[in-house]
Amino acid sequence: MLDALLAFSQGTGIHAFMHTAWGWPIVESLHFLGLSLLIGTVGLFDLRMLGSARGIPMRALHRLVPWGVAGYALNVVTGLMFLTSVPDQYLYNPAFQIKLALMAVAGLNVAFFYRFVFAPVKTANAAADAPRSAKIAAAISMSCWIGVIVCGRLITYYRPPYHWCFWC
Amino acid sequence: MEYLVWLEETAFSTWMRESGPAFFSNLIFHSVAMGFVVGVHVATNLRLLGVAPRIPLSLMRRFFPVVWVNLFVVSLSGVLLLVAYPAKALTNPVFYLKLGAVLAALCITRSLIHGVMRDPAHDAGCAPTKARALAALSLVLWIGAITSGRFLAYTHQMMMASHQN
Repeated sequence: MLDALLAFSQGTGIHAFMHTAWGWPIVESLHFLGLSLLIGTVGLFDLRMLGSARGIPMRALHRLVPWGVAGYALNVVTGLMFLTSVPDQYLYNPAFQIKLALMAVAGLNVAFFYRFVFAPVKTANAAADAPRSAKIAAAISMSCWIGVIVCGRLITYYRPPYHWCFWC
Repeated sequence: MEYLVWLEETAFSTWMRESGPAFFSNLIFHSVAMGFVVGVHVATNLRLLGVAPRIPLSLMRRFFPVVWVNLFVVSLSGVLLLVAYPAKALTNPVFYLKLGAVLAALCITRSLIHGVMRDPAHDAGCAPTKARALAALSLVLWIGAITSGRFLAYTHQMMMASHQN
């Protein structure tokens, strides 16, 4: 796994780029931009469902979400650039592992939301309170994404091999 | 410079720098809150530029309490990070670039909130040209603030004034 990731990074030139003087901070800046896009679109949609900014139709706010998806895609790409360039700093890192788990929960929550919850949200009027199920999905989404950012920031704190996670 | 040495040697600065939990909780608050500050601005600027035109523009102001609360957290955690490593940031021109970009972006926000976003006549559709130009400039400034913030960790000339090089 570790060797395969590293080989990919070296074969594609990502490894060389990330180890140039400005490679790493440039990709980090893009990663933060992607995160801000996600908070500004999906996060605000969640906040509206949780009861803030009543008067904005939830359907209208949802039109921002494709930009959040773009931010997510940007972060998958930039995230893979970090991961494949120094895989041992991520694979054995408890903060990274928890981050992936939270992303999986957020992903399931998205599937659940569009399958079971979105229909009444889409047709609700501007001042409407979101249904209870939508509030729950929004709270899960918010907590997961904030947790993902916290874990992302903690990756440098639990830097292997000084902090090997206790279950690996 | 003597002042920076004095600050670095205070017990509080030493604790901020050397305690992992203190330093990292600051970093986390700074990052998450900055994400919210920039996030709300990105959404507002996209709306001003014509994305999601059904969002009544004046009602976007209802999300700004999120900005003010998070801006307070960003400032407080920023000051504490500065207390931990004062010379690292204050001797780096990139730090002033970041501060300038944030302040300029907030001036734009102020003028938009008290101008075009206050007038329900602009609720539907596209914002006036001047407001769109300001929104585009605001996006550039926030991207500049993020980028200079990240580069602060890579461009410093010294970590501490008290033990140089």
